[in-house]
Amino acid sequence: MSESSETVSNESLREELAGESALQTRSLWKDAVGRLLRNRLSVIGLIITLFLLVGALFGPYIAPYSYTEQDLLNVAKMPSPDHWLGTDEIGRDLFSRVLWGARTATLVAIFTTFISVIIGVVVGAIAGYGGPLADNITGRIIDIVMSVPGLLLAALIAVSIKEPVVTWAENIYDTTGFPLFADTTWLDLLVVFGGLAFVSWPGYARLIRGQIFSLREEQYIEAAKSVGVSELKIALRHLLPNAIGPVIVTLTFSFSSAMVLESSLSYLGIGVQPPQASWGNMIASNIGSWSYRPWLVAVPALTLAIVTLGINFLGDGLNDALNPRSKRSI
Amino acid sequence: MFVYTIKRLAVAIPTFIAVLLITFTLTVLSPFDPVAMMMTQFEGTLDTLAREEVIERIRDQYGLNDSYWVQFSRWIGRLVQGDLGISINGQRDVLRMIVKTFPISFQLGLAGAVVTTILGIPLGCIAALRQNTWLDYTIVGGTLGFRTVPVFVLAPLLLVLFVLVLDIMRVPRGWDGLFQSKVILPVFILALGPLPVVVRQTRAAVLEVFSMDYVRTAKMKGLEMWRIILRHILRNALIPVVTTLGFIAEGLIVGSIFLDSIFAIPGFGGVAEAGFRGFDYPVIMGVTMVSAIMIILTNLIVDLVYPFLDPRIKIE
Repeated sequence: MSESSETVSNESLREELAGESALQTRSLWKDAVGRLLRNRLSVIGLIITLFLLVGALFGPYIAPYSYTEQDLLNVAKMPSPDHWLGTDEIGRDLFSRVLWGARTATLVAIFTTFISVIIGVVVGAIAGYGGPLADNITGRIIDIVMSVPGLLLAALIAVSIKEPVVTWAENIYDTTGFPLFADTTWLDLLVVFGGLAFVSWPGYARLIRGQIFSLREEQYIEAAKSVGVSELKIALRHLLPNAIGPVIVTLTFSFSSAMVLESSLSYLGIGVQPPQASWGNMIASNIGSWSYRPWLVAVPALTLAIVTLGINFLGDGLNDALNPRSKRSI
Repeated sequence: MFVYTIKRLAVAIPTFIAVLLITFTLTVLSPFDPVAMMMTQFEGTLDTLAREEVIERIRDQYGLNDSYWVQFSRWIGRLVQGDLGISINGQRDVLRMIVKTFPISFQLGLAGAVVTTILGIPLGCIAALRQNTWLDYTIVGGTLGFRTVPVFVLAPLLLVLFVLVLDIMRVPRGWDGLFQSKVILPVFILALGPLPVVVRQTRAAVLEVFSMDYVRTAKMKGLEMWRIILRHILRNALIPVVTTLGFIAEGLIVGSIFLDSIFAIPGFGGVAEAGFRGFDYPVIMGVTMVSAIMIILTNLIVDLVYPFLDPRIKIE
């Protein structure tokens, strides 16, 4: 009698467990996507981001004109069927240049984010695993880098490394004759990557260090340690998957801020040089004439504003989606 | 308190020295030749031989032929005496340029900080009190938008909107003191940059205080809502907002770099922008150092003031 009741309760327990595991097949990622798509702002952000990526990838094929092609009969014209967003002060099609600008901005943002994530993860791991001395030293370095406004430091670096990079490329061209090094336009981008990556990595380093320190206290890590799992395996199997959420959110935000920094540098004449199209240098070269040719400033400015807004909304949505516990209570 | 102050200083000073070292190293490592750039204005007036000699003389005059450590120690020595060097374009004393323009930017920045606080604290409060409603989302989302939309985008767009489309103001240009109507738009644009940080910090702090026992007690006593907010919530919630001062300072400095030339304000940011555009190293170095000093000082002041505002923070 008592035995049968036990089996029954075991049975029901098993059923319950089975039901629970059926629930759990909705994985974290599926859940996150669901939460993301339920948030209207982040859907708008996602759409804007997709538009940007399409523009950056296929811009040259979509663009009706090249970014340097001048239509000297139609200089500084208002938007028309021929030139959808008008032409600039030397007759270049604004729509095409905005598309090329999207390519510049995305390229810089992707590379900068990539480089700074790598540096940040390495430094963060050193701080997290290297003991108190390493933590202290990396912490001081991060403080130092962060005590100068990011834009100023990036500009200073870009200004300083520009000439060495160009001479370096010229030397390589002289000795190897490799055609890639004959063209110096992409060197501007390289200089911008360097400056931006140098000011963006501390954010990641801090994040990774914080994640290592806070996750290390979790019981499942302790449990893994106590059964003898190696540090490396713990890092890869337990730390990494749990830290990936915050990292993705930070990636999104720093993607948009890298774009803004690139435009800022180009606006100051340090980054991407004309005739290469960057939203920053497009704004800079037309800001003096905003009162009588407003569209020349407004088009790149609005594009930059909409794109950064969109990416930030996406980042905010991702933050809520990947951090179900925070539930918007920040 | 004394020991605490010394400790904070012991952190701030090496940070500043490291900033000096980075700044100097970057400018020296670059083989970019400011003298060659200067010579372009004499193009065609000097024959080749005289030209070489003039370049060499100028390089000696600026000490550009010495070794790294000689240049660095000489530079530090001059810094201590308040000599930031002479600008390459225009041959002006860099310290004088900064001292002359800094008060204007400081007034603008102060006004911007005040506007940010006046706007940010009530907005953060409202967002917290209406948590998870459309109002909360609008405030947080709306201000978030301005976090990365830079000044050189916002300024022309607002100019087009206010001057051309709405036609409610004349083009604000120049500087005639802080209490002029033409200051409104620049200050407002400056204030928008750091606004989301203040809003978020206030919102989070109010949310935290809101669940405290003493707030519940005040509610149960039947105190009116506005009195609870003013007397109990805000007083405690505003303490963490002080920590955003460093962010505000950085936002204001970076903002003024773009703002000054757009609105023709003779400020610190304008000096910085001209320095970058002209590859004017002495100016760039001076501007970077002054900005770093401002941010390090602001953070130091926050650190020193914080224990007074929140006695729970122990002074070690």
